[in-house]
Amino acid sequence: MASGGPEGSENSEANAKWLDAHYDPVANLYTFSSCVALADLQGDGENKLIVGDLGTGLYNMKLKVYKGTTMLSENTLIDLPTGVVAFLMDTNEPRTPAVAVASGPYIYIYKNLRPYFKFTLPPLEVNSLEQDVWNQVKEDKIDPLTLREMLESFRDKGDKPLSVRSLRYLMLEPHEMEAFVSLHKMQPIKRQTVITCMSTLNKNMADEDAVGCLVIGTENMEVCILDPEAFTIQAKVNLPSVPVFLDVTGQFDVEFRIIVACRNGSIYIIRRDSKRPKHCIELNSQPVGLVRLNKNIVVGCGKELLQAYTQKGKKLWTVQLPAPVMTMGLMDHKSKGFQAVLVALANSEVHLYRDKILVNITKTQDVVTSLCFGKYGREDGTLIMTTKGGGLIIKILKRTAVFEDKDTSPGPPLAQSIKLNIPRKTKLYVDQTLRERENAVAMHRAFQTDLYRLRLRAAREYVKALEASLAPVSADLQEPLNMNAVVQGIGPAFKLTLNIQNTSATRPVINLQISFLYDQTLYSIKRSFFKIPMLVPGLTYPIETFVQSLSDRGISDTIKVFVLRVGRGVPLLTAHIHMPVSEGLVVG
Amino acid sequence: MGLFDKLAGWLGLKKKEVHVLCLGLDNSGKTTIINCLKPSNAQVQDIVPTIGFSIENFKTSGLSFTVFDMSGQGRYRNLWEHYYKEGQAIIFVIDSSDKLRMVVAKEELDTLLNHPDIKHRRIPILFFANKMDLRDALSSVKVSQMLSLENIKDKAWHICASDAVKGEGLQEGVDWLQDQIKAMKV
Repeated sequence: MASGGPEGSENSEANAKWLDAHYDPVANLYTFSSCVALADLQGDGENKLIVGDLGTGLYNMKLKVYKGTTMLSENTLIDLPTGVVAFLMDTNEPRTPAVAVASGPYIYIYKNLRPYFKFTLPPLEVNSLEQDVWNQVKEDKIDPLTLREMLESFRDKGDKPLSVRSLRYLMLEPHEMEAFVSLHKMQPIKRQTVITCMSTLNKNMADEDAVGCLVIGTENMEVCILDPEAFTIQAKVNLPSVPVFLDVTGQFDVEFRIIVACRNGSIYIIRRDSKRPKHCIELNSQPVGLVRLNKNIVVGCGKELLQAYTQKGKKLWTVQLPAPVMTMGLMDHKSKGFQAVLVALANSEVHLYRDKILVNITKTQDVVTSLCFGKYGREDGTLIMTTKGGGLIIKILKRTAVFEDKDTSPGPPLAQSIKLNIPRKTKLYVDQTLRERENAVAMHRAFQTDLYRLRLRAAREYVKALEASLAPVSADLQEPLNMNAVVQGIGPAFKLTLNIQNTSATRPVINLQISFLYDQTLYSIKRSFFKIPMLVPGLTYPIETFVQSLSDRGISDTIKVFVLRVGRGVPLLTAHIHMPVSEGLVVG
Repeated sequence: MGLFDKLAGWLGLKKKEVHVLCLGLDNSGKTTIINCLKPSNAQVQDIVPTIGFSIENFKTSGLSFTVFDMSGQGRYRNLWEHYYKEGQAIIFVIDSSDKLRMVVAKEELDTLLNHPDIKHRRIPILFFANKMDLRDALSSVKVSQMLSLENIKDKAWHICASDAVKGEGLQEGVDWLQDQIKAMKV
């Protein structure tokens, strides 16, 4: 591929690492990295792909399972999935993992691809004042309008936020209130939170097939760890903000560490037996993806940055990316002992970073929105991507592929090799310099004399113009004005627009008039003399008039415009407009 | 070779020995195919994933085959090339129901064909598009297209659809292989 050039060779090199196993542009998979998982659901040694499909965001939310290139099963979801994980609930044989789908305040557990259990987050405490008010409504002691006023007062001063029902009630129009109250007053009010992210944590063994606990982040700024069998909350940690990305390591019974990226642009690190986050990393923009690489945290930020921190919060490195980050994933090739970070960018590329070194670029057919690397089917190094357009891309890492750390130290800058555009000197130039050398004195004198004359001429003309106020810019310091004229149309009717502007800082100008001077046999202007409105400083006033050409012989002339002050004979400014030749026939 | 052996060979009592490499991805059915070709009293009942490789023997009407049944698992695939020198023929088994890994099979076949020990030798290659009984299996024509077998110009090759569990299609392939080896020897 000698003709390919440097970029072509780069591309073929990238292709040399990945095999294109499958590309389905119409797979109709709309999802994010948090809703994609790989697991051996049937215990047959073949990993399946589990995708929580968001559908359109309102309809068609599905839990899809792929085997090889075909879909194995499809389950309809009631609400938008926010996280999908596969985990082992028990030690029963065969070791088939369960699938947990978080959506709304519920976690739906599927076993053997069938609904098995639904876990509901415990409801939150309700504002006691709000509870009292609704109780009174139940006994018909308060009318809807008073209820509204009372709820509004609690909303502003109460320490606990109102329930969804009260907030909905406050949004209603007065005529809808009666019906709403009669429909809902008998039900008890409750306040619920939603799950924002989900991950798993091994219970007491580090093995691949150990029993795992679910770790969930909720909208009311908590991280909870659930028991795998009883589905009770085993541990709970409060956070200063809403968690959006979770990364969990360790074992629940021994020691664990949860790295949480939050909506306030900070990363918190939670350890076992800590009621509060131990370390906090403040990012300078919102996190888009979070990946833990051995002991370092790699974060993709909103400002096209990829940053790495230690778990103590020390910044290690920053890489500027060529495009915004769409999603991130960990590439952990266990049989080769290779770990790197996959970053999908908005320019349809997937970059592979090993520490701060870019080791591979893969171009994809569309912008990638979710990434997942792992064992799929029987192949260990499979990269599964879904695109913005709903496509599914599966690539397999070649057995022989080796990612080499290229030398990233920048070479000489590109500008160094660009030749400067210096003009060549001809014989004419050399002859001219010879002449200048010989007759330097005469040349200097002649030039100076001409310059004196030029200055005199210029000064004379300037004085003449000042006396007659011929310039379109006012010379008077008291009344700084500026005017330009535009002629539009092809005739015989022209539109003449004068743009007048008061250029003073604060003083308005009043009592100005405009007068046109023209050959009355050639042109007719309806109003050749009129007043201008008060000119406010800074604004441009377009003043339009219509000029009619009378001559049918294609003669054009100059129209002069004078801006005059009432009670003064000398115009403030003048504009000379060269009228174009009329191209139409003069009628009448 | 002793005088007696030579004599036996001329008389057709002792068959010629041929070394065959059986290659293919894991779970494609290599061991099952070899097992099915063995005499019925030597067949094993349950087949487990091969570790490393195993050496098996079977006889046809004219030849005695010694087969290196290699493991197809990713971590053992680099063992293959150590046995290329000994191989006088290759049996390449493909799981025709595994569309996803067809590219991996193609990749392994390409590296096999470009290996210096194989590239310049005119050895016959027999392809088995195995697991034909499965519902979503590709036809042998489709498999040969996906592996671009038409690009193999300097070697004799043949593809047959097979079902190693029932033993369908295997005999046809082995007969072709035997003819090729005999033609080569002459």
